[in-house]
Amino acid sequence: MFKVIVKLAWSNAFLRFSRTFLLVILIALSMALMLSLQGIYDGMTLNMVDKTIRSDCGEVSIYQKGYRLNQVLSNNIKNADAILRKLDHDPNVKLAIKRFSVEGLSSTARKQSFANIIGIDLKQEERFGKFSLFLTKGKLSFENYGAIIGKGLADKLKVHIGSKVIFSTQNAKGEINALYLKVAGIIQTTNINIDNFAIYVPIKRVYDFLGVPHDEATQIAIRTDNEAFIKTLKKEYSNLDVESLLDLYPMLKQMEDIMAIFNSITFAIVMLVVFIGILGVMYVSILDRIREFGILRAIGMPYAYIRLQIFLEALFVGLIGYICGAILGYLSLKYLHIYGLDLSAYSAGLEKFGYSSIIYANIQASYFSSTFYAIISASLLSVLLPLRKIKNLNPIKVIKANT
Amino acid sequence: MIVLEKVNKYFYKGEPKEIHALKDISLTIEDGEFSLISGPSGCGKTTLLNAIGALDNVDSGKIFLDDKNIAAMNEKERTILRLNELGFVFQAYNLIPVLSVEDNIGFIMKLRGFSDKEIKKRVFEVAELLEIKDKLNALPNDLSGGQQQRVAVARAVAAKPKTILADEPTANLDSTNSEKLMAMMRSLNEKEGVSIIFASHDEYVMQSVRRIIKLNDGALVE
Repeated sequence: MFKVIVKLAWSNAFLRFSRTFLLVILIALSMALMLSLQGIYDGMTLNMVDKTIRSDCGEVSIYQKGYRLNQVLSNNIKNADAILRKLDHDPNVKLAIKRFSVEGLSSTARKQSFANIIGIDLKQEERFGKFSLFLTKGKLSFENYGAIIGKGLADKLKVHIGSKVIFSTQNAKGEINALYLKVAGIIQTTNINIDNFAIYVPIKRVYDFLGVPHDEATQIAIRTDNEAFIKTLKKEYSNLDVESLLDLYPMLKQMEDIMAIFNSITFAIVMLVVFIGILGVMYVSILDRIREFGILRAIGMPYAYIRLQIFLEALFVGLIGYICGAILGYLSLKYLHIYGLDLSAYSAGLEKFGYSSIIYANIQASYFSSTFYAIISASLLSVLLPLRKIKNLNPIKVIKANT
Repeated sequence: MIVLEKVNKYFYKGEPKEIHALKDISLTIEDGEFSLISGPSGCGKTTLLNAIGALDNVDSGKIFLDDKNIAAMNEKERTILRLNELGFVFQAYNLIPVLSVEDNIGFIMKLRGFSDKEIKKRVFEVAELLEIKDKLNALPNDLSGGQQQRVAVARAVAAKPKTILADEPTANLDSTNSEKLMAMMRSLNEKEGVSIIFASHDEYVMQSVRRIIKLNDGALVE
C-alpha cells in the first residue's frame, strides 16, 4: 500500500504543476537568501576573528604579567626564546612567534601621531598569519630602513610609499631615542589597534634601538587548533599572563552573539515565509481535491493513510524546494565566498567597527543541515491545518456537494 | 444479510426546517439480492443507501450487516466495515484521477492488503467481465463516461465485498451505456453472488433489478 500512497502523493504534488513550481521557487529562493545571509553574517564575524588572529594574537598570546596595563620596557618576557623553543616542540602548537613592541611618537615634517612600533620577523609573520595579505600598498620589505605601517596611521601622518618617518621613544636606559624609517608598505588588517597605530620594523632593529637583550619579547603569539591547550598553557605559565583571543578581544564574542541573534531572526522570518507559502498551497491543493478525499474516506481508506499521503506530498515539495534551494544557496555562497559582498559604499562605518568593506561569506555544512530540518519541519507542519479539515470532513457532504 | 429495524433519520434536527428523512424503516435484504431503492426525488433513497453503507449516522433504530450493528459503530469502525465488506459506485464515477485504471480497480484490494499477484489476477478478471481490459493502462480522464463508470464498478467489486451500494450509477450515462452497465452488474451479481443495492429512479435500473424497495417521503411504501 505504501507504494500506492507514494505514487498518489508524488502525482498529486505535481498535479497543478505551475502552482507546485512556484512553491518550489519560493522555497528555493528563500533558502538561498537565508543561506547567503547566514554566510555573510558569519563571514563578517569570522573574517574579523581571522584577521585578529592572523595580525595580532593568534589563538593565544603570552605577555609579562602587568604588561597589558602598563606597557613599559621593564614589563617584558625575559626568557622569550627559551619559551619559544619549548613551544616549538609541543604538538599542540602550530606556530609560535615573538614580537617586541613599544609605544612612542611617530612624526613627519608636518604631522605627528601616537604610534606603536612592533619588532617582527617578516618570514615568521608570513607563516603565522599570511601577513602579505594585509598589504594594500608598497611591498613587505625592511630593506633600506624600510617599515610597514598601518593604513590609519599612514592617513593620519599623510605618508605614502617612500615617505620618511621618525619614531621616537624612551630606550632601556631612559633616554629619548629616535629611529629613522622609510615607509615601504602600508597594511590594512581591520584590527583598529594595528591599522591606526602600528609600525612594523625588524625585531633586531627594535632590540638595538631600545637596548634590550635579544631574547626578550613583549608578546609571544601562538597558533593552535586545540582550545583545551590554552588552559594547559595558563597552568604551565602561571607566572606570565596567558590570554586567549576572546580574553583579549571580548568584543569579538559580543559580535559573534549579535550575529547569531541576527541569524536566528533571519532564519525565523524566512522559515515563516516558507511555512505560510507551503500552508497556502497545500491548503488550496487539498480544498481542490476535497471530493477525492471524501471518496477515499467513503470507500474505506483509513485516515492514517490519507495523512501519510498528505505528509508525503508536502515532504516531496519541501524536499525538491530544499534541493533547488541548496544548489542555488551553495552557488550564491560560493560566489560570495570567492568574490565577496562589496560594501565599499559603507567602508568608513564598517572599518570603524573593524569590519572589512568586502565581506566574504563563510560556508558551513551546518547551514545546509539546519535549513534541511527547518524546511522539512515547515513542510510537515504546514499540512496540519489542511489535515484537520480532512479528518473532520463528512464524505457524503463533499461527494454530494461536488457531484 | 442486511436488516434494518425502525430506522429514523432527521436532517436539521430541532430546527424549524427539520426534515424527517427516514421514517421507521424496517427492511431485510438477503445475501445475493439485486435490488433497487426507488422513489421520487427527495424521498430518501440516497439517505437510506448511505445509512446502509455506513456512510451516515441514523438518529434511531438498528442496521445490521450480518450480526454487526452499523448504527452503534464509531467512525473508525465504520471505515473498516466499508473497506472490508462494502463496495460503492457513485453517480459521478469518483475515480482517482492520478492513478491508472488498473491501479484504480486494485485500489481497495491494496487497502485491504491483498498481494500484488492476487490483485493483478483479480483486476484482469474483473476488467474482462466489464470489458475494459484494453484500458488498464489509461488514466480515468482518458475514458468515456460509460467506461469510467465500469471502472468504478470494477473497483467496487474487485475486493469481493458482500454488498455493493450503487447510488444513481446510470445518471450520467446515455441509454446504451446504462443498459450495458446494468447488464454487466447483473452478470456480476449472478457470477460473483455479490448483493447489489441501487438507489435510482432510472428506468433501465428498474427493469434490470429483481426487487424494488419503494420509498415515499422517507417511509417504506412496499
